Amino acid sequence: MGKYSIGEFEEIVMLTIAILYDNAYGITIKEEIEKRMDRKVSVGAMRTALKRLENKGFLKSNFGEATAVRGGKRKRYFRITESGKQALDQVMETRKQLWEAIPSISFDFKFI
Amino acid sequence: MSDSPSIQPPRLLIRFLRWFCHPELIEDVEGDLLELFEERIQRNPSKAKLLFFRDVIQLIRPGMLKNFSKHSLNNSGMIKNYFKVAFRNAMKQRSYTLLNLFGLIIGVTSSILILLWVDSEFQMDKSHKKGDRTYEVWRNMHQSQGEVITTASVPQPLEKVLEEEYPEIESVALLSWEMESLFAKGEQTSLETGCYASPEFLDIFDFKILKGNNENVLDDLSGMMISDRIAEKYFGENWQYENNIVGQSFRLDDQNDFKITGVFESPKSNSSYEFDWLIPAERLIQRNAWIPNWGNGSFGLFITLKDVKDEEKVASRMEQEINNHTNHVADERLILQKFQDTYLYSDFEGGVISGGRIDYVRIMLIVAIFILLIACINFMNLVTAGSNKRSKEVGLRKVMGARKWGISIQFFVESYLLTFLAVCVSIGLVFLLLPLFNELIDKSLVLDFTQLKTPFFFLGIILVTGFLSGIYPAILLPAFKIINSLKGTVKHPKGTTFFRKGLVVFQFAISILLIIGTAVIYQQMNFVLNKDLGLNQENIVLMEMEGDLRGKYEVYKEELLKIPGIDIITAASGNPVNYGRTTGSAIWEGKSPSDIAEINVINVSDDFIETLGMKMASGRFFSEEIKSDSSNYVINEVAAKIMGFEDPIGKSLSIWGMKGRIIGVVKNFHMKNLHQPIAPLVVRHDPRDANLSMIKINGDMKAAIKSIEKVNTELNPSYPFRFQFMDDSYAESYKSEQIVSNLINVFALISIFISCLGLFGLSAFSANQRSKEIGVRKVHGAGRLNIVFLLSKDFAKLIIIAFMLASPFAWYFIQQWLEGFQFRTEMSFLNFVIAGLVTLVIGGVTVSFKSYQVATVNPVESLKSE
Repeated sequence: MGKYSIGEFEEIVMLTIAILYDNAYGITIKEEIEKRMDRKVSVGAMRTALKRLENKGFLKSNFGEATAVRGGKRKRYFRITESGKQALDQVMETRKQLWEAIPSISFDFKFI
Repeated sequence: MSDSPSIQPPRLLIRFLRWFCHPELIEDVEGDLLELFEERIQRNPSKAKLLFFRDVIQLIRPGMLKNFSKHSLNNSGMIKNYFKVAFRNAMKQRSYTLLNLFGLIIGVTSSILILLWVDSEFQMDKSHKKGDRTYEVWRNMHQSQGEVITTASVPQPLEKVLEEEYPEIESVALLSWEMESLFAKGEQTSLETGCYASPEFLDIFDFKILKGNNENVLDDLSGMMISDRIAEKYFGENWQYENNIVGQSFRLDDQNDFKITGVFESPKSNSSYEFDWLIPAERLIQRNAWIPNWGNGSFGLFITLKDVKDEEKVASRMEQEINNHTNHVADERLILQKFQDTYLYSDFEGGVISGGRIDYVRIMLIVAIFILLIACINFMNLVTAGSNKRSKEVGLRKVMGARKWGISIQFFVESYLLTFLAVCVSIGLVFLLLPLFNELIDKSLVLDFTQLKTPFFFLGIILVTGFLSGIYPAILLPAFKIINSLKGTVKHPKGTTFFRKGLVVFQFAISILLIIGTAVIYQQMNFVLNKDLGLNQENIVLMEMEGDLRGKYEVYKEELLKIPGIDIITAASGNPVNYGRTTGSAIWEGKSPSDIAEINVINVSDDFIETLGMKMASGRFFSEEIKSDSSNYVINEVAAKIMGFEDPIGKSLSIWGMKGRIIGVVKNFHMKNLHQPIAPLVVRHDPRDANLSMIKINGDMKAAIKSIEKVNTELNPSYPFRFQFMDDSYAESYKSEQIVSNLINVFALISIFISCLGLFGLSAFSANQRSKEIGVRKVHGAGRLNIVFLLSKDFAKLIIIAFMLASPFAWYFIQQWLEGFQFRTEMSFLNFVIAGLVTLVIGGVTVSFKSYQVATVNPVESLKSE
């Protein structure tokens, strides 16, 4: 894990941001997760995750143009950074290693 | 979407969100919420607001909140800086810091010690669970002359009446006075003090029973309870593991065997009742026919109420209980006092509580506060005096944007740091000094950290002391103008020098107050101990005639008179300088039924007034040759006055129903300590009831006592030899005065010492400040003495003002204290003058010590810079 440690929810958020590519801001991220993962995401939980990831340097953000829809508030778009990508890679890598280390007998449910 | 303005998100919530949300996040978070809201309105307008509310509430989490302290980034850094500067500053002026700390440590240590004592006084008798609804019954004996004598000894039959007729009372217990008995088991003997108590005594009070059946340990009339101390003495350290202690027996006073029914834990130091054995009260009642009588006080009586609310009801119903049973032959009324108050409030005047030990506790509490205050004032003074040196720092801090309160906090941090240090050192010191202190106050105090209140107590001391000592500099220093403080030309506001001087005056006023107090208390104690009591108690040995000696006075006397140095010996029914055996049954010639008087009766053998050196006012004393003297009486002058006799000789008098005639009047002598007036007295010649022998010794005291011991062990082998000097026994009745006098002595010294530390620091500062002026003066030819005088003059003025301020207070308080004595020394002006002079001299020496140093400096040194 090392310096690229991220939690499960953080991982989902990052992956979603990557999926949304240049339309990744608060609401779309929330809705995308809710749609794909079939789970409720509270604004608060998501916001904290975003902030934490940004602090870690896995995300960067910039404001978009102001629109009338949001009461004139600008959207903050998120992008994955280089180290964010590395973090995701590492998560996948460690998972893969773990999967590979499982002896096939473990998942052999015939005798149970 | 934008054309749905009908429903707006709740404005209040948005404002709330803006308030708590981190400014960096707010725009986009708010935007998100608004977008969500509008979307939801499309779908489900009714729920949108609720969901909005939920979302806002869920946003209140650590990552989202703004930093509420204003200087978020700098805060911890500043605090670190405060500590650093405090430390550097302390190290830079090491001697002043030490002076400061030293004063504070002494002050805190002293007040901790005193407060420990005060606390222990307040804790007395407070540990009993039923204590808050337990009462002691007192008896007020109203005399026909208006005086009221209050005593704790009440008639024993009262117990039954209270038990049976008062439904509000849960239980009633009798407790006798402390008595001494000779314990014997096999060869081993010892004298032990204990009480007779009714079984309910152990229900009301929580004395821990270590062995024996809790329920009925005092029910068995042939049984007794002993303390673990006696158990250890007789059965060894491992007595607890021996099963057969209960059931074994002691022989008491060479007469009766008592079986041990239980062992209790010796009353701890927080109990004013001390006893090593308990015997059922019934035993004492059976042995003494005079006890079950409404006219005689015999026991202390305690009651527990079922409900405290009934106190008044019970008290008012009980008041006349004695009079109702005695048909009003005397006027004796009962009053209730909360048991927990009995230790501190035990003085009665006119039948109501007038004080007691609480007076001394209060005095000491005030002394503790004074000393702490003096130490805090020192701190304030030294810091403000040194503030010139720090004005640049304060100015610079302000230029850099420090606010006033920031600088205040800095000075509070400094004072709290020093206070914390001082308290820590003081706690160590208290541990070291406690054994000594305990000796001084005759207690066994411990610093008990297992009790929850102890850490709070120290925390409290730190908080209060730190605050008191820091408040003045913390207000004063930030108030300087920036430019002045940077230029280093701080002009203290006019008030501050005045204030500082005021503080010094206050310190010395307190010290002078304490010194005057010490002087007068010392004088009064001297007066009390050396006053002509109307009898000569020097070189007289008191010897209880107990065991085999009882009733063998003639033999004993004969043996003793053979000893060289013993020419005269007498005996009486009690110690004449501490006597209290009274009767209300005296009937004299011409007594009207409304005359009620409690009169002391003392039974004496021959040579009573010759041995003790009393004088006769008229008539004669008893004589061995005159047989009829056994029914004759001698009275004292007070009694003669109460009975209203011009010439009492030959008048008839009857005591306890025994008729006789008055043959003489003895001059008044004191029978109690000087707090009390001289009471009326009747002397009877009855050697059989005179069991305290008084032996006058001339010449070699040690040899004589050795010889007495020999006689005693021969005539009374089973009892250990013990004796007391009469003047010692008298001095002992002023024990609490002695203790407080000792305490005040010590702490008056400490207070003046601390004040002088402060004075020393202040004078040093002022000397340094004026070093140039002194240099110039010296160049112009001023001598050293001139300069010392110049510098000391100001402080002398302060001490004189302090003296003038303190004197009236001292006069008032001391007058109050002295009024507690019926016989007292005159308060002389000399005390005040001496106290003032002592302070002036000590203060003067302190100041000139530093002044002299400055005065001897070569003016070149002080003038060359600039």
